[in-house]
Amino acid sequence: MRVFVTVGSTQFDPLVAASISTPILHALRSRGYTNISVQCGNFKSVSDLVLPSGAETTNSVKDGVNVEAWRFKPTLQEEYELADLIISHAGSGTILDVLRMGKALIVVPNPTLLHNHQAELAEALAARGHLYASTIPDLPRVIESMDAGKLVPFPALDGSRFQAVLDEEMGYL
Amino acid sequence: MEYPTFLLLSLAVTLLLVRRTYSLTLPRPEAKRRSPSEPCSFAVFLGSGGHTSEALALVAALDFSRYYPRTYIISEGDSLSAQKARDLEASKSKIAEFPDVRTDAYRLLETTGDVSQASAAAQYTLLTIPRARRVHQSLLATPPAALYSLASCIYHVTILPLMRTGRSTPLAEVLLLNGPGTCLTLCMAAYINRFFGLPSPRLIYVESFARVQSLSLSGKLLRPLVDRFLVQWPELRKLCPQAEYRGWLV
Repeated sequence: MRVFVTVGSTQFDPLVAASISTPILHALRSRGYTNISVQCGNFKSVSDLVLPSGAETTNSVKDGVNVEAWRFKPTLQEEYELADLIISHAGSGTILDVLRMGKALIVVPNPTLLHNHQAELAEALAARGHLYASTIPDLPRVIESMDAGKLVPFPALDGSRFQAVLDEEMGYL
Repeated sequence: MEYPTFLLLSLAVTLLLVRRTYSLTLPRPEAKRRSPSEPCSFAVFLGSGGHTSEALALVAALDFSRYYPRTYIISEGDSLSAQKARDLEASKSKIAEFPDVRTDAYRLLETTGDVSQASAAAQYTLLTIPRARRVHQSLLATPPAALYSLASCIYHVTILPLMRTGRSTPLAEVLLLNGPGTCLTLCMAAYINRFFGLPSPRLIYVESFARVQSLSLSGKLLRPLVDRFLVQWPELRKLCPQAEYRGWLV
């Protein structure tokens, strides 16, 4: 099974670093994940494991998990499709994309963002059972205890709602 | 001019201004009833990034045979939003089968920027306006940039429609806004139309799906100004009773 970690266009080095740390790789391995793909975006800190000496992609094996790391791709659609589990920053665009594909999702709001409304979104969706919200220290525990089968399917886009507002406002209804 | 005449004149002008200003605070009259076959012109501001994605998700749901011509308003240099708008139009249109024809027609539209021509040719147009504030721009440079942006909005919302048709059609009959910055200047331009009794787009604001417990700055500023204000979370509806909640819209 494959897990995809994404930080979108943001810089969220603690999540990138944590995702290839031993505790998380152990947790993933224990749940049957053998491949991890990490989109690190604007990852800054120098690490031997991720993007050594300016390379754009790196592959390695750590703690029994195949680790692949890279910065950006024009579209993440293919990565979402390949993955069985997605671990993501709490950007609303990523959340909508992943939930609409029916994939299991753990979101980790970036705690360094000021006025963190991303955390509110993550918690509201977690409370409704659509995804898991976690902090970085909690991530191994959430991975070990999660039950993707119990996640509540996210409803498809219902375009008729906005069309109705507009029709109403413009005198059609 | 004699003093009493001057006094009377100033009084008349003041009364007129007060009356017009007061009329801005009244709820707008409802739109006239339309037959289902009657078209309605539509404009949307694409605020880049997540704002653009959400705005286009709302637009994608619309019946394009009813809401046309469509105007996509983008900030200068936001080529990504422009591309996403083109992609949406292409995916909704038969013209997508002839990519070469499409490219040429649209290049023409974008260089001329003429809305009437656009509606005749492809029923949509991209309209570029300067940014109210560039990212990383110093705060001192903000007022001139904001004024320039406002001037451009007034040109497109107020002046151009006047020159084009006398005074019958606004830029669009309805304008969808979902933040950030520049949508406030567009809203101000629409209010200039209202102040002078010119046709103004009806203004609809949709707060981001990402806003659960608090309004965005754009939301806070625009809430008292727009005709419809929608939020996407019941939590936010409780906080802001004037808002409408119709479930998730994107």
